Formats: sequence, C-alpha cells, structure tokens
Amino acid sequence: MNKLHIALVVAVLAVVLYLSTLSTAAMQSLQAGFMSIFSPFLRTSSAVQENIGSVGQRLKTLDELEVENRQLLTENNQLRAANSLLRELQAENSRLRLALDFRERASFKLLPAQVISRDASTWWNTIRINRGFEDGVEADQPVLTDAGLVGKITTVSKNEAIVVLITDETCRIGAKIEGTREQGIVSGFRVQEDDAMGLLQMNFLSKNAEITPGQEVMTVGVAHGSFPPGVVIGKVKEFIRRPLDGQAIVEPAVHLASTEDVFVLVGKK
Amino acid sequence: MKTLIDLAALFIGVVLAFIIQHAMPPMDGMHGAHILLVPLVFFYSAMVLPFPAMLVAAVYTGFLSDLMYLHVVGGKVEIPIGFSILYFMSTGCVANGFKPAMREGNVLPFVLTSALGTSLYLFIQFAVITWQRGDFIWENAIAWRILAPGVMAALIAPLFYWTLSHMDRLLPDGSRKARTIKR
Repeated sequence: MNKLHIALVVAVLAVVLYLSTLSTAAMQSLQAGFMSIFSPFLRTSSAVQENIGSVGQRLKTLDELEVENRQLLTENNQLRAANSLLRELQAENSRLRLALDFRERASFKLLPAQVISRDASTWWNTIRINRGFEDGVEADQPVLTDAGLVGKITTVSKNEAIVVLITDETCRIGAKIEGTREQGIVSGFRVQEDDAMGLLQMNFLSKNAEITPGQEVMTVGVAHGSFPPGVVIGKVKEFIRRPLDGQAIVEPAVHLASTEDVFVLVGKK
Repeated sequence: MKTLIDLAALFIGVVLAFIIQHAMPPMDGMHGAHILLVPLVFFYSAMVLPFPAMLVAAVYTGFLSDLMYLHVVGGKVEIPIGFSILYFMSTGCVANGFKPAMREGNVLPFVLTSALGTSLYLFIQFAVITWQRGDFIWENAIAWRILAPGVMAALIAPLFYWTLSHMDRLLPDGSRKARTIKR
C-alpha cells in the first residue's frame, strides 16, 4: 500500500466520519432525495415482486380449475372465467366501499394511500406508500385501515413515504386491553420464525391480570404521542405470566402482509 | 479508460442490483431471508478495479446502501449513514488483494468473498441493531437470515463472473488479448 492509497483511505474515513455525524433530519433529507430519484424504478420492481409472489397462488387456481373443468365444455370454461372476473370486481368494489365508509365515519382527516412496496430489508418491517409531503404527510403520523392500526410514518419524500409497521420492534405503542385496566407497551419482535404471522408483544402488564385470548387491544393515546386513543391494534392470542410481569402475545387486526390500501391520519376533521 | 468504463458499469450495476433485489420477495422457506445482489456486484468490482477505483466503488455502493436501508424511528437513526461505506471499504481492501487470482481466471476467491462478505454485512447490521436496542436475542431465523443470503451469493457468483467476464471481452481495449497472454 503506497502513500497515495493511505491518503485515499484517510479521505474516505473523513467522509464516513462527516456523514455519520449528520443530524437525523439531514440523514432523512438525504434519504428522501434518494427515494424521489429511485422511486420510479422501485415501484416497477415492486410490481414485479407482486407478480412473482402471486405466481404460486395463480398456479393453484389453475390446477383447481383444471380438475374441476375436465368434464365441462369450452363454453362453460368461458363463462366461469367471466364469472371469476366479475367476482374479483365485486370483491374490489366491496373493499373500496368499506374503505370509503370508514373514511366517512372517522372523526379524523384520513388520507387514502396505496402500498407500493414492502419488506425491502432483512431487519426492519417497513412498507412504502404512494403519498408524500406534497399530500400533507409528515413524520410520525399514524397509518391505519378500517380494521386497525398499521404503523407510523418515518421518512417522507415528495410523493412517497416510509411506514414502520407495528410488527417492527422499534415501533412502540402505548396500549390497553379491552375490559381491563391493564396498560402496556405493544411492539413487534426483533425477528420472527414466521414473518407472515407478524405477532406483537405487549409488555409491562401485571402478572396477576385476568387476560384471556380474544380480548381486544387498542391504543391508549398518550399525550404528545403519535397515536390517537381507541384505535384497534389486535387481539390477545396468549397471556404469559413471568416472574415480575405479564406479557401478552397479540395478533394484529390488520393482515400486514397483504394490505394494499391504507389511510394516513393527517389531522382532525 | 478501461477503469472508467468499469466504474461506470459498476454505477449502473449497483443500481440494477438494488432494483432486482427489491423485486425479489423474501424467501419464506428460509425464514424470510432476502437475496442480496449489491455486495456481489461490489466484490466483483473490488477484485477487478485498481485500489483507488475500488475506494470510489466502496463509497458509492455504501452510500446508496445506507440511504436505501436508513431506519429512523422517534428521531433516532439505528445505523447511521457511513456504516456501509466503512464496511465496503474494509472488505474491499481485502478483496482487492485477490486481483491477481481474478486475473488468472480463478473464480473461487470471488465466490468465497461474496458469500462471506454478504453474510458478514448482515451479521454486523444485526450486531449494531442488537447493540442499539439492547437485549441479545438469538433464534434460528436470525441465523437463516444471515447465512442464507451468503449461500445464495455463493451460488450466483460463478454465473455472475462468467457473464461479466464474457462481457468484459467485448471491451475495445484488448483486455481479452491481455488475459490470453497472461495464461
């Protein structure tokens, strides 16, 4: 290694030192700029990911149809295909109706958004949505659906935002259990054996609490917190009594692995 | 001239790798492990580029990786920008030492560096997260998520090498000729 190489390494180390001491806001601005540039490419790749993911499901449907339609005529096949298409449209219609109804009923100002990508990293549970600061989205705003809480906004770019899901360990939510006086902190697990399950943990509960599976868990809405009170998080799946406290394993109300339409809570009506 | 073309190819290659790895869903059969292509692209470039160009590659790849996976919650950054630059620079220095082997067409160091480099990157990320959050947790899923991407990188590396070395021969500066004489 000659002197020039050593000088270059020192220069890179100086750059690293400078970048690592940037403020959180500056790092987020850099990330927002990066997101704005890469967003079109990543959206395309997310669409591809969605298609890859649904291949298995499609093959299964095809297999089922093949077995089912062996004894049917070609006309019947065409009718079935048309029917299936209509059913899909009907399901979409119902889903959107429910979402619209939820938006009308809510006492908060809800901004509809679509999930454009998910699960891009190994250690963090995040999704990206197609709304950014141009739409009024800001950091720490809650994201939810008609079924319950999804997560909160972290980084916002012009037309896109990153949402940290409630299944991430760093997303901590003050919560209470319906029908009890028990309050605790809900968060995700660092890593789960099966991510599709996406379970949550609720800690700091009394070990003598009478908590049974099926009880609803909802946000408590602490002062200056990100989440308003009364938003459903999920249902208790299991209650574990530990030497010092109790822990509830909570199943999220929203199926986070497949949710496509969400709302960002941008303020009160 | 060749170095500049290689660097330009790296810049495009890293972006393409990000797009492709983003498009690939996590492997459910491997506890949600992801296929990582960016370290693979970097280690290839680190083993063919001269040292100063390797440093440029490390800064570029590391900077984009950090921006891609920056995780901020409650005003706190888990892994600051600069971490990946430091990682790619350190491992790039080691990988750069295998340049002669690469020139002779020996693909083994590239396969090993890609596999170890990918898994080590994830392991260090996990270690930093553990240090930041506290509570050491170790489960099978963590081992899978660290090791499986390394194994996948080892499987992809020979194909990647073969494709790029064939493309390299199309370059106008006679690199094919030079390589043939060395042999």
